[in-house]
Amino acid sequence: MLDAALSSYGAHVVLAISSDENHPPENIIDGKTETFWISTGMFPQEFIIRFPDNMNISTVSIHSYNIKRLRIEKGTSEDADKFEAVADTEFEQTESSLQANDISVNVSNTTHLRFFILSGYDHFVSVHKVSVQS
Amino acid sequence: MVKLRAKCVVVGDAAVGKSTLCQMFRSDGAVFQKNYTMNVGVELLEKSVSIPDTSDTVEFYIFDSAGREPFADACENMWKQPSVVCVVFDISSEVSFTSSGRWIDRLRSHCDGLHVPGVLVGNKSDLAVRREVDGAEARAWAQTHGLEYHETCAREIGQFEAPFLSLARAFHSLYQDQMQIVQSLV
Ligand SMILES: Nc1nc2c(ncn2[C@@H]2O[C@H](COP(=O)(O)OP(=O)(O)OP(=O)(O)O)[C@@H](O)[C@H]2O)c(=O)[nH]1
Ligand SMILES: [Mg+2]
Repeated sequence: MLDAALSSYGAHVVLAISSDENHPPENIIDGKTETFWISTGMFPQEFIIRFPDNMNISTVSIHSYNIKRLRIEKGTSEDADKFEAVADTEFEQTESSLQANDISVNVSNTTHLRFFILSGYDHFVSVHKVSVQS
Repeated sequence: MVKLRAKCVVVGDAAVGKSTLCQMFRSDGAVFQKNYTMNVGVELLEKSVSIPDTSDTVEFYIFDSAGREPFADACENMWKQPSVVCVVFDISSEVSFTSSGRWIDRLRSHCDGLHVPGVLVGNKSDLAVRREVDGAEARAWAQTHGLEYHETCAREIGQFEAPFLSLARAFHSLYQDQMQIVQSLV
């Protein structure tokens, strides 16, 4: 399901700070790189993707622009407030193309993924597409 | 409609009028404190401004820092990743102007290599008879350091808004530039 829109599987972005109404967080999971969510200032930035069922996820693929440091955490439905870091990575800067990164996470039985953008190559960072592979 | 958020770090020597400027801005001129209360840490203030001719706003998170050591030093860990910066001096104190370079250097080390818009504010312009810093000289200095220069009397309506408005505009225009780049890639 790497290339499918997560939203077609019933996934939702349940939390995202920042607000440009032309670029809502749902754009992250619509399966297209043309649409995006963009942060509107300050770090860190965070968003959470909730899945309809428990998922086993080996890899998270993310298309973005100007993200520097990213941490991914997993959550479980039993305890919505509890998150555990599963990846902490630094992306390379790109200029004339989006950043495309596959991040190995190897999580089982998770219902939420939380994305923490800790720093950027610009004040504003965009996320175009997140997809997952079991 | 876009709501931007900007972390604005305000620094400068003790008693130059940083807190007065920030409080007046935050309260739209309602709070003027005549008596000096020295900052011993960072005071956080929130204030939104509209960008003229747009429906967009910038919400400032102002980090009003202490000017006197060792309190200033202790503030420094709050300066991470600023969106915009504001360096204030007192036009009746040459010493406070000379310090500006040191303040800006200290701030830059927290900017992660990003381009961070900044203003240099020559405050207490009402004390013209005691002026020790030439306005033109301060403006030229600001320019060489990539800062926009403003002279203010923090206690006067119509004066304390200008530096913040110029920071808001600069940050907003960075957003628009970035948006254009992103849109050209997709
Ligand atoms: N004449 C005049 N006095 C001012 C002006 N702005 C501030 N003051 C006075 O200067 C004194 C110091 O102002 P503050 O705003 O507390 O100074 P500060 O830069 O925050 O000082 P620290 O917190 O110690 O770093 C106060 O007594 C203010 O009333 C101004 O524009 N003109
Ligand atoms: Mg103060």
